[in-house]
Amino acid sequence: MIATVITLIARRLVAAIPILLIVSALLFCVLRALPVDPAAMSLPPNATIEEVEAKRKEMGLDKPLVQQYAIWLKGALHGDFGASIQFRRQAGTLVASTLPATIQLAVAAMAIAGILGLAGGLVLFRLRGTLLEPVADLLSILLLSIPEFLWGLILLFVFGVLLHLLPFTGAVAPGLPIPHVTGFLLLDALLIGRLDIFLSACQHLILPSIALGLAFSPTIMRVLRSSLFDVYHEDYITQARLRGLSEQQVLIGHALKNAALPTLTLAGVQFGILFSGTLLVEVIYSYPGMGNLMVDAVRNADLPLIQTIGLTYCVVVLIINTAVDSLYVVMNPKLRVR
Amino acid sequence: MFALQAKDLTVSVRIDSATVPAIRTLSFDLAPGKILGLVGESGAGKSMLGRAIAQLLPPGFSITGGSLSFEGKDLVPMPAAERRALLGRAIAFIPQAPMTALNPVQTIGAQFDEHLTRLDGASAADRHSRAIAMLEAARLPNAADLLRQYPHQLSGGMCQRVLIAMAFASNPRLVIADEPTTALDVTMHPPIIRLIADMQKSHGTAAIFITHDLRLAAQICDDVIVLYAGRAIESGPARAVLANPAHPYTRCLQLANPSMAERRALYVMPEQMPSLRQLAHMAGCHFAPRCPQVTAECSDAAPPDISPAEERSAACFHALTTPAIALGERTPDAASSSGRAVLEVQGLQKRYAAGGGLLSAPRTVTAVKDASFQIAENEFVALVGESGSGKSTIAKLLVGLERPTSGRILLNGEELTPETRQTMQSANAMQMVFQDPYSALNPRRRVASLVTQAMEAGSRHADWDERMARTRELLRDIGMPEDFATRLPGQLSGGQRQRVNIARALCAIPKILIADEIVSGLDVSIQAQLLNLLARLRDELDFAMLIISHDLSVVRHLCSRVLVMFRGEIVEQGPVETVFGNPQHPHTKALIASVPPDDPTAAWPMLQAAN
Amino acid sequence: MAGPLLRALRSPRVSIALGMILGIVFCAIFAGTIAPHDPGDQNLLSILTPPVWADGGDPSFLLGTDSLGRDVLSRLIYGARTAMLVAVFASLGAMIIGTILAHISGYFGGVIDWIIGRAVDIWMSFPPVILSLILMVGLGVGLSKVILAIILVDWTRFCRVLRSEVLIVTRNDYVAAARLLGFTHWQTITREVLPATLPLLITLISLEMAIAVVVEAILSFVGLGVGADQPAWGQMIADARQYVYQSPWNLLLPVIAIFLTVAAFNVLGDGLRRTLDVRLSETGR
Repeated sequence: MIATVITLIARRLVAAIPILLIVSALLFCVLRALPVDPAAMSLPPNATIEEVEAKRKEMGLDKPLVQQYAIWLKGALHGDFGASIQFRRQAGTLVASTLPATIQLAVAAMAIAGILGLAGGLVLFRLRGTLLEPVADLLSILLLSIPEFLWGLILLFVFGVLLHLLPFTGAVAPGLPIPHVTGFLLLDALLIGRLDIFLSACQHLILPSIALGLAFSPTIMRVLRSSLFDVYHEDYITQARLRGLSEQQVLIGHALKNAALPTLTLAGVQFGILFSGTLLVEVIYSYPGMGNLMVDAVRNADLPLIQTIGLTYCVVVLIINTAVDSLYVVMNPKLRVR
Repeated sequence: MFALQAKDLTVSVRIDSATVPAIRTLSFDLAPGKILGLVGESGAGKSMLGRAIAQLLPPGFSITGGSLSFEGKDLVPMPAAERRALLGRAIAFIPQAPMTALNPVQTIGAQFDEHLTRLDGASAADRHSRAIAMLEAARLPNAADLLRQYPHQLSGGMCQRVLIAMAFASNPRLVIADEPTTALDVTMHPPIIRLIADMQKSHGTAAIFITHDLRLAAQICDDVIVLYAGRAIESGPARAVLANPAHPYTRCLQLANPSMAERRALYVMPEQMPSLRQLAHMAGCHFAPRCPQVTAECSDAAPPDISPAEERSAACFHALTTPAIALGERTPDAASSSGRAVLEVQGLQKRYAAGGGLLSAPRTVTAVKDASFQIAENEFVALVGESGSGKSTIAKLLVGLERPTSGRILLNGEELTPETRQTMQSANAMQMVFQDPYSALNPRRRVASLVTQAMEAGSRHADWDERMARTRELLRDIGMPEDFATRLPGQLSGGQRQRVNIARALCAIPKILIADEIVSGLDVSIQAQLLNLLARLRDELDFAMLIISHDLSVVRHLCSRVLVMFRGEIVEQGPVETVFGNPQHPHTKALIASVPPDDPTAAWPMLQAAN
Repeated sequence: MAGPLLRALRSPRVSIALGMILGIVFCAIFAGTIAPHDPGDQNLLSILTPPVWADGGDPSFLLGTDSLGRDVLSRLIYGARTAMLVAVFASLGAMIIGTILAHISGYFGGVIDWIIGRAVDIWMSFPPVILSLILMVGLGVGLSKVILAIILVDWTRFCRVLRSEVLIVTRNDYVAAARLLGFTHWQTITREVLPATLPLLITLISLEMAIAVVVEAILSFVGLGVGADQPAWGQMIADARQYVYQSPWNLLLPVIAIFLTVAAFNVLGDGLRRTLDVRLSETGR
């Protein structure tokens, strides 16, 4: 089994190389098509034409596109993704400092989406054949129609503005220091032994992660339900009942694990999308993560930064997909043993 | 006390606010240690009894009358929990499709252990050794290894043995086996049947054996009930009933089934068994519309149960005069193979690369190994073999759906290559009739459009009048009323679909038809209709046919020559009489031996071997 | 095809959803006639007026005004026009590209399938929100740019889901039968395969319209949408967010508008899925 998983991961790594190359090249082309001049932008407004030209040469902008890409690629392989135009710092450093906050938010949201999805799916399935089924079904479609950024606004409005229950700006209460050990705020707060920072960070995480989790749970719910429906038509369920197993034993012992397989495939795709969903939630809650940085970069046409963040999102999505596929292999004996 | 006793058991379904009985007033007594056979065509209600015992009836169905007593206790009013406690302990089930009846994500060991844990609180080590003992009793070698394996690593026969071992693990007093061999290869039938019979005898279990095969029922059942449209139309000791049926349906069913021993005419019952929906509006005997002995009284009232002999009964007014049903006059003759070869296959090979990955090199699988044969004009040749023997691959190679690795295919003396197939209009000369009549017909086309589909292919643009004219001819050929032309496939039965399927292939007047298992999955009475249709069409339209089949009786009936395939190779070929009368290859012998004898009173060596 | 579509209409859910969509489309088409004010008219004397039912509401601004004194109702109505234009053209564009590639890929298989499959893989390794943002940076703001960006992002959705459906349909013997009867590839695809995938296609369009409305709102919200001169719901939300304490209705009204539109398309899509008997696993969304 371990060998199969390692083979799969190795295969994915090999496949990831051309994907990342093509993605970065595409990014490069799209961003170079912009009608903005990064050289002029990185200089003070009163710079002379000569100065701009010199800067263009320095940045390699006078060379053909392929050559520019080659230069960028060479730098990227050495960890140099270029300097952000607006912050005048290494794009790689900027991403590294914001990525942990985004991962923290995404993981919390994934957990919420997973738990709500599992519970909701089981409830939807249990309601089959009852009068409540159409109501619950319609409700799940309506929930499906609320994307993460609407949830963000609704929760912000209800719990923040109306009820004053929870904070909705930033990652911790203003005035508290932000520790820097690993970059993961919750972990760092515990590491330096500041429970107040930890609690404040938790409070600030609640609304954004729930907003994101709520937006993705209906899909998981509906897939789990329809997978359970499919599984219950299988002969082995009938046979398990004919062996005298109770409905509880049939559901837990035989149906759930089989229904989990298609659900997991979907969850993989969804978690990839969920990760990018952090962007809007971060903007709405002014959460200091990579998404806010991205929107900043986009508004200011900060090309090196956009390129680096875009690529980071791709890498994370590829990692999530590989992890989910490995889990799928572990759970599915047909792929594991031949 | 009886192991199972039914008294006027009625199972009904609600259709359009009417209540229609799917099983009506079924009564029987099953003594411990005996086997009761339930036989009938699909839709007769034979699986409904097993479902009723477990009370796992399909949605809309319910028990509406009578009683069903297990060891004296009525199961019908019994609380669900109490009944469930019996399942898997006192009452066990052997399923129809063993491959899908085991949970694919759990090992055999885990599933066996779950079952044993429920039976009693034995220790884990005890359960393990008991599982091994049970699997060994089911004649599975390497039982300890098997427990660590998953269902997909086992063959269908092995899965069924595991399920039989599980069924008998609790020492049940009643076992219900629902078509336990239907999903398995022919050569697996005798060993599985034998295993069930042996286990049943050694445990002294009463058994209900559900099957569509009258010959098989005669061999293993003590008593038999023949079901038609939900009613037990005949019952009694198995051999006596089947050797000398009192109900015309039982007799007709036997005569509709082709014989392995001789080529005789098939009795063709018109139309088909009424559906539940039709039953709601039927009076009198439900078999009357198809019965050769029908008289005026038959359509007025339901016939009473008449006892033609001791311990027997038949629901027919004419039960005492039945054996005199005459066969049709036509005896199909084996077509002479005097003509010149229309199809010639030389050294045909097909290899696939299979598997292979980052760490392993791909293996080569040879699906067809050096196949050579000829088919003459107007000749019906059979290609028999088990699943995976390569017979369907040959069909695909012939019609060009797959390309051969090597070898030549000659049609009327001209070699077929991907290029010539496009130019020489081979589409007209060679056509294929597909196996699954549901998948073979586009559900959005009407019958007229389906049967004349060849007339809109390529640059041909026949106008609608032309197509309707051809539709009328083709519908006449396949014996279907003209008003069927506007129907959709969804409005046709399986047998009717298969006729449309044949008509479509015949539209462009081919010289040879490739027919892949075209009667498998159809009921005997429908199969007889199709076999007679094919024989008649050959005489009228003059075409040759390669019939791919696993059913030796069908082959024996329809074909003059047979090719036997085994693991990709044609291991034996020759005239049907010679090959079936004196098989040479061990696989041919095994295939022939796995068909129960026609004569219900004759002994079946495959079953005797165990005793 | 017509029969099942009519049957779909008999479901109350579908007819209500369709009624809502027709209402929104009506607003979109006749925005100029219905809207009480010009959506761009600034009335700096009455900014952030609450809706009529709240204290201080002004009957000439039924749903109040925004921070620049523009009529919220008129902006909502014109916003519907933006949303519908994007929904219709983006989903049709994505459908056309995705459908053609899916049929080629699934029907022919082999190398073509491999190439299209890898292209979809690469596309899908980009989260859709990020990809559309980056495309908007490259394309610049504007209605047609938003439509183009959504087409470029979402063709993969059609391609992936339809391809597996084409694979299933192609496995049917009737497709092989058509070839054996002499049908050309083109005839087989158009007469045997496409009619079978059509129900799924129609369902997907409905769901894609919901997605397009959301994406347009997101892009406008971030300020990379149809542009400041054109009213859009996402933009209204972004504006209202800064004055959420003073006038919460300005935030809630466009949120409700987006929710109702998206829900209507989703309910319609789900109704179509049921009545057209579409094999659409939820994975396809």
